Amino acid sequence: MGSRKAREREMLDSVCSMIALVFFLVTCVELCDAATVVDVYRLIQYDISGAPFGSRLAKLNHHAGSLHFPPGADLSRTVLMIPVRDLNITFLQDYIAQRQPLGGLLFLLPRMFSFENKDDTRTNHQNQESDLLKSVVAELEQLLIHSNVPYPVYFAFEDDDIDAVLADVKRTDAIGQPATATTGGFKLVVSAPEPKKLISPTITNIQGWLPGLKTDGDASQLPTIAIVASYDTFGAAPALSVGSDSNGSGIVALLEIARLFSLLYSNTKTRGRYNILFGLTSGGPYNYNGTQKWLRSFDQRLRESIDYAICLNSIGSWDNELWIHVSKPAENAYIKQIFEDFSSVAEGLGFKVGLKHKKINISNPRVAWEHEQFSRLRVTAATLSQLFTAPDLLESTGGLVDSRHFVSETAIIRSVKLVAESLARHIYGYQGNNIQIFADDSSLAVNPSYIQSWLDFLSRTPRVAPFLSKNDPFVMALKKELEDHTHEVNVQHEVLDGMFTFYDLTKARLAIYQVASVTFDLLLLLVLGSYLIVLFSFLVITTRGLDDLISIFRRPPSRKVKTA
Amino acid sequence: MTVFHFFNCAILTFGPHAVYYSATPLSEYDTLGTSIKAALVYLGTALVKLVCLATFLKVSENDSFDPYQELLKALIGFVDVAGLYFALTQLTHRNIAQNHKFQAVGLGWAFADSVLHRLAPLWVGARGLEFTWDYILQGIEANANLVFSISLAALGSLIWLRKNKPKTLIPIIYACAVIVATMPSITSYLRRGLGWHFPKVVGFELFTSLVMAFISCQLFAACQKPSA
Repeated sequence: MGSRKAREREMLDSVCSMIALVFFLVTCVELCDAATVVDVYRLIQYDISGAPFGSRLAKLNHHAGSLHFPPGADLSRTVLMIPVRDLNITFLQDYIAQRQPLGGLLFLLPRMFSFENKDDTRTNHQNQESDLLKSVVAELEQLLIHSNVPYPVYFAFEDDDIDAVLADVKRTDAIGQPATATTGGFKLVVSAPEPKKLISPTITNIQGWLPGLKTDGDASQLPTIAIVASYDTFGAAPALSVGSDSNGSGIVALLEIARLFSLLYSNTKTRGRYNILFGLTSGGPYNYNGTQKWLRSFDQRLRESIDYAICLNSIGSWDNELWIHVSKPAENAYIKQIFEDFSSVAEGLGFKVGLKHKKINISNPRVAWEHEQFSRLRVTAATLSQLFTAPDLLESTGGLVDSRHFVSETAIIRSVKLVAESLARHIYGYQGNNIQIFADDSSLAVNPSYIQSWLDFLSRTPRVAPFLSKNDPFVMALKKELEDHTHEVNVQHEVLDGMFTFYDLTKARLAIYQVASVTFDLLLLLVLGSYLIVLFSFLVITTRGLDDLISIFRRPPSRKVKTA
Repeated sequence: MTVFHFFNCAILTFGPHAVYYSATPLSEYDTLGTSIKAALVYLGTALVKLVCLATFLKVSENDSFDPYQELLKALIGFVDVAGLYFALTQLTHRNIAQNHKFQAVGLGWAFADSVLHRLAPLWVGARGLEFTWDYILQGIEANANLVFSISLAALGSLIWLRKNKPKTLIPIIYACAVIVATMPSITSYLRRGLGWHFPKVVGFELFTSLVMAFISCQLFAACQKPSA
């Protein structure tokens, strides 16, 4: 009997040690079997001359809460899920300004802003609602970009799973029981490493050269006309900054103009006596840093031979008025000539072109328009844009609201016609005549499907410059397209100016778990414990009799009695 | 706290086996060896069943109830019964009373079944952050399965080990044995053919197991009385 008990005890010991080993293994293994996994996009994190902006953290592991939280609740371990439809900007502004602690923010954007949305969202019903949403999101974007937020901020698109989770969270919050470790609820987990600085981000400028007709009598260099557009964007969520209008429309227009002029210049009979230089520059949002470096790299002769440069910026969503922004006064002869060309063509096409003059302040590092970089190096230039006022730093740079939904190809087609005809008039010397070179039914007609396909492609490609590597496929695609249309293409790699520093990690996957509270687990343990005890007593009573059960609890006293 | 949940579900799934062993006179007569041998026999029958299923069964794309496939599965399920017969009769046990023998064999059988079928899903699933009721229901099912195994072992021992049985009870014994042996087919029919949800199926299993246990108990007691 004793040896049997000893053997049993040995077996029990070995089982116990096995269980201990098992629990040790448990701590080493990490699992992920969430009910919902969603793609989320992180708020940008950057420094301007050392001052931090944007969201400084990426890792997230907190309970979900909604805007209906009970007043005075402690939110330092809660992630607020806010659909932008229900957003109250002033509340958020106060919250961030007062630096109140928060576990994290998750903004839910309507599917309208998604570039992966394959539905035909170009129908114009619900125009008012979408305009209101657009202004709310634009305001939110500006607020977040210029704040220093010490907790993670993510953007996600609404879909059925997340909507269901949000409805549940709202319900439990309305009851007055915010989700914490002791009450259960939903847990949002993003496992991401610490965001690291991007060292020496490169900006790439691509230029295409279309040489003019040089006859034997010409001793000096032919004059040049430059057409420039910046192709990179900046927004609150770099993985979503597709910038369909700023400056996708400019890029598409530039490519189409290149295609048309390459057709004209392919035949020596129709080749003009001007060289045409096409420039796709990067670093636009950062005071047109790339344009400056590109111009600095020019040969002195080339720079002097530029008659004028036209910069294209946001020409995709206007109705009947465009603006030409210049930095030299309107009385200047060159400016007068450019403006005359453009306005006469515009009249023929049925819309207006206005002239706006903005003086450059050399001591101010802020460069609001691309033509200002040209003007600083004494090259005549103008920017064609639908915007009336000069944008501030990091404004109108193709952020969240700039999606395909809000751009119309007709506007771009008309802009292309305007620029192409005006240039042709200058190159071929048709002053004041009403001749249409790029007429609609000719072989030189503007190709709508070319514009549409490039616009669609650009609206699916986020283009924030620090996150585009040197040989990024997008940059290579632009280069190849210019090579098709021009004679000679050069690619210039530069390092972005030291004033801006960026941090990586723009995209992550969010796992949403439904967790049970600790009280539930404890309750379950209690229930199971009592169940096993009841089972034990039942079995003892039925197989050995009630006396045995009582004797199990009374053994120690009886032994004492025996020894005494 | 998810390891906590795993711990809870593990107690629910495997606790009753340990409790059964220690509460009944099995622990006093040291029948652990018998239980372990029965567990090993279960392992052997599981392998045989696996091979048979892989050879004879074809995989269906949809989750519907195919009578022919279910019949085949039931036939292969009788390998279980053969295994139990082997465990009860062919293994050399020490001098243990018959009513302890069947309990020990049933216990070992059920424990091996729980470990093989339920430990892996529990380990992989219950430790995650996400909470579902599945593992608690699985634990309740394990309890029902324990009762079923012991009833089947009892009926088996009545059929094969007891030589003098009252004539009137023999058909009842065989009928009950057939019902308990085909339990897996019945539950899969309920789940797929009638579309019952997991909690309902588990409730049905629990209820049937208690009924079957009661009937087997009565039959066993009836056969204990010396006949004639």
